[in-house]
Amino acid sequence: MRRAGFLLMTALCALGAACATPPKPRELEALDTLRATNQAKLPEVAKRSPDLIAEADRRSNAAHEEWQSNDLDESRNNALMAQVKLKTAIALYDQDQLKTQIQTLSGQQAQAEEEYAGLAKDLASEQEKVALLQKYVDARKAADADKQQMSQQMSAEQQSAKAEQDKLSQQLLAQQKIAAAQMALRTADTVESLQYARDQYSVAGDLLARAEAALKQNDYAGADANADAAKKSADDAAATAKPLYEKAEESNKNKERNEALVRDAPTIPGVKVRIDPRGDLQRLVIVVPEMFTKRNPNIAPGHETVLDGIANLLKKYPSYPVQLVGYTDNRGKATELIAISAARAQAVYSALAERGVETKRLMVSGLGGEDPFVDNRSAVGRAKNNRVEIVFLYH
Amino acid sequence: MTRAKRMWGRIWVLIAIGFGLTAVLGGAARAGEEDDLQRQIDTQKSSVADLERLDELKAVTDEITRLKSWLDEAWGLRAKHEYDQVRTVLDRALKQEDLIRNLITVSKLRAQELKREVSLKEIKDKNARTRKTLQETSDKKKTLEKAAQ
Repeated sequence: MRRAGFLLMTALCALGAACATPPKPRELEALDTLRATNQAKLPEVAKRSPDLIAEADRRSNAAHEEWQSNDLDESRNNALMAQVKLKTAIALYDQDQLKTQIQTLSGQQAQAEEEYAGLAKDLASEQEKVALLQKYVDARKAADADKQQMSQQMSAEQQSAKAEQDKLSQQLLAQQKIAAAQMALRTADTVESLQYARDQYSVAGDLLARAEAALKQNDYAGADANADAAKKSADDAAATAKPLYEKAEESNKNKERNEALVRDAPTIPGVKVRIDPRGDLQRLVIVVPEMFTKRNPNIAPGHETVLDGIANLLKKYPSYPVQLVGYTDNRGKATELIAISAARAQAVYSALAERGVETKRLMVSGLGGEDPFVDNRSAVGRAKNNRVEIVFLYH
Repeated sequence: MTRAKRMWGRIWVLIAIGFGLTAVLGGAARAGEEDDLQRQIDTQKSSVADLERLDELKAVTDEITRLKSWLDEAWGLRAKHEYDQVRTVLDRALKQEDLIRNLITVSKLRAQELKREVSLKEIKDKNARTRKTLQETSDKKKTLEKAAQ
């Protein structure tokens, strides 16, 4: 009984093993993988190669059926053939795709090359323009540089000329100032500054010498300053010396005039001249003796020449104040004599006025018988004392 | 011997002759088929060399190897006188050869495509560079024009 059961189980197992699906052949696995991998493009591949795909499908189905029915050799064979068909179909599809792609790329390349040709042409044109412009700009720059260089040269020359001019101007100015200082010194010389303002004059001389030395050394600023100072010192010296000099000059002139007066007065015919100083006051006395007869206040005839001479002398020396002093001899009352003497002085005054003498400078007085010219004891002496004295007053 | 017996004897002789002829002719046919299969195998093997030469890019080495193995298999089957199977394998090998030729074409086209792509990229790059140079030149021209005014 047991043995019969064992045999039955073994038989069932053998039947099950015989009916079970065998392992999928490698070739069929590869075919399925190939299909799965190219699943997306299979519809397009089928359009391109319907016969190949149909054959591949038929072989694939057969392979699967044969595998299911455990006919593995045939399954492998069909699977391999299906692979070959499918791969061939895919290859043909790929060829078409690649050809299309290559064609597209060729078109794009042609377009790109055309674009390049255009760009290259534009670039060449632009580069040519740039080259021309660059040449122009370079030429212009060179011209500008030349111009600037010339300008700089001119400017340098102008500056040099200006510097030279400035130098000459400074030299000229210094020379002018030195000349002005020299002139100031000369001017100071005219008022005897060496005598009346020695210190200032000496300083001016020293400064002028310094200015001239500076000028020789081309130190125009130093020359300028020293010349200015020299001029100022010379001017100061002149200003200081001038009043002193003028005073001295006036004094000299007065002295000369007085001396001239003293020389001229005696040249009048019929007069006696004497110098009669009274303290600081100098008196030139012109005596006209016997001009009057006794007690007579009028001028005796024959004295016109004398009066003309006196009038001319007065006119020649118009700055002197002049006294007309009448005198008598000593015979008579004093008051009467003084009146007569005054009348006599007045008579001379009138005669001189008639001859054009300015009367404002004339002072009339009568002293009677005082200060006799000669002794009154003789008639001749008395006649000589009846006189008028014309007195020039000066210092 | 009866007439019937003689006739049956003749029939048996004819049958024997027939079997003998069949055996002789069958053997000759098998020998012709074997030679024909060998020629086909040789022809396909020589085609393999052509295919290897055509596969300059070595893109289908695996498929060629497979073809070779199939041809070897066909040769082995031929030796075992499995002529139907030999024909099946040779038929598949023939299709494989066709596949390999197409794959070689694909590889060449792919190489050509790649070359075109590279070439296109190069010319596009050149265009970009030229465009840039053109722009720079135009800018320089504008600057120079201003300077020239």
